[in-house]
Amino acid sequence: MAKIIDGLRYTEDHEWISLEGDIATIGITDFAQSSLGDIVFVELPEEGTNLEAAGSFGVVESIKSVSDLYTPIAGDVTEKNSTVEDTPESINEDAYSSWLIKMKISDIAAVESLMDAKAYEEYCEQNA
Amino acid sequence: MSSQRTALYDEHVQAGAKMVDFAGWDMPIQYKNLKEEVKAVRENVGVFDVSHMGEFFVEGKDALRFVDYLVTNDIKGSALKKAIYSPLCREDGTIIDDLIVYKLSETKLMICVNAANITKDFEWMQSKLEGFDCSLTNRSSDFSLLAIQGPKTFEVLKSIDLEFSIEDIEYYSIQEGLAGDTPVLLARTGYTGEDGFEVFGPHDYIKRLWTKLMDAGVAPCGLGSRDVLRLEVCYPLYGHELNDEVTPLDCGLKWTVKMNKEAFIGKSFLEGYDPQYRLIKLSLDKGIPREGYLVESNDQVIGKITSGTMSVALSKGIAIARVDKKLYSSENLINVDIRGKKYPANIQTKAFVNGGHK
Repeated sequence: MAKIIDGLRYTEDHEWISLEGDIATIGITDFAQSSLGDIVFVELPEEGTNLEAAGSFGVVESIKSVSDLYTPIAGDVTEKNSTVEDTPESINEDAYSSWLIKMKISDIAAVESLMDAKAYEEYCEQNA
Repeated sequence: MSSQRTALYDEHVQAGAKMVDFAGWDMPIQYKNLKEEVKAVRENVGVFDVSHMGEFFVEGKDALRFVDYLVTNDIKGSALKKAIYSPLCREDGTIIDDLIVYKLSETKLMICVNAANITKDFEWMQSKLEGFDCSLTNRSSDFSLLAIQGPKTFEVLKSIDLEFSIEDIEYYSIQEGLAGDTPVLLARTGYTGEDGFEVFGPHDYIKRLWTKLMDAGVAPCGLGSRDVLRLEVCYPLYGHELNDEVTPLDCGLKWTVKMNKEAFIGKSFLEGYDPQYRLIKLSLDKGIPREGYLVESNDQVIGKITSGTMSVALSKGIAIARVDKKLYSSENLINVDIRGKKYPANIQTKAFVNGGHK
């Protein structure tokens, strides 16, 4: 069973979001890393990049596949996790501590409307 | 149309395989961990269910002459019991499929073809049969096929009850065994670059063999690891490096086209053909080249990646690309375009990994 953490918000693309003030931290979920298998490459946007909601902000690649990362909410990238780019396997080890980007967002209500842990758990069960 | 299943479908699901459609077949792409599967084959032993592949038999007085005429490689001149890799070409040199001919006797040959091309190959061969005193039968549905691959293969096969005795045969040779009263074919061939055997047998026999291999601790391996393994040793794959639009001379397969043969389909065209393309091998220090990515030189697109992956052995991106022969020069810097960014490629002449086969 994939690990799901209380207090985070989740998207249908299997990303997690945590919010502190107007800074959203984004990563992929344990369910996502487990379906991808060994993650061997991650490409993330540079600081300052303006991202539109639902667009692709980067990719995670396993040995045999390339998966787009989708921006859950519009905003500006304030930081990317270079450690994850250097050691992509850290996402397989712990998907929740291996965050990908931090973004400054304006639409905080949009985060609140995403799935909570319980709703995401049900979503995963339906999509397993 | 629903996918076909091999006799081992339930075994795959039970072993935790992720199943995907491949050429109309529901096949295991990977079991628990793709990287571990690749390592099992390079260092130990793994088994692939490749029962979706096709088996044709050519039998009769002219069997040898017919097959020798169909394919570009030399079948007539090869020793008995040998396996011979060859393209199958049209008159205009383009490749219908690549296959392995097993020379069982002077009057009986087995041909193993790609699953996706079974109908296309069979119809083509049938259309060329006139004038040859031999029969051609598609026995794909009679056979299941396991590829047992890795340096420990022979050791494992000797340790389990195969239901007949096996000999230590040469690489790229075949022997026939009898399990009870059912014939089983055992070939020292494969698609991983490692030593190994491919076992063609009736479905019940292959199911028993699978269980014995699992009990002996052989790793079940899926089509995902098989693709990484073959790409690391630079074996071409039909539909990627080879296809209906290119000739063997465009794909580094000149060694399989035997111009000194008296006659074969495509000979007269290929004799005068000036290849348009060539395949190159490349690796990237950063990024992973994937099929379809453009290859550039001097700000000009010179070709495309035909297969690419992360190499398990090298932990970096590797690929084969088809480039325009006139536009390619080894003197120039080559880049791969990945999502709009240029990644410099290291071009190499040798395979990325040296398989351990004999």
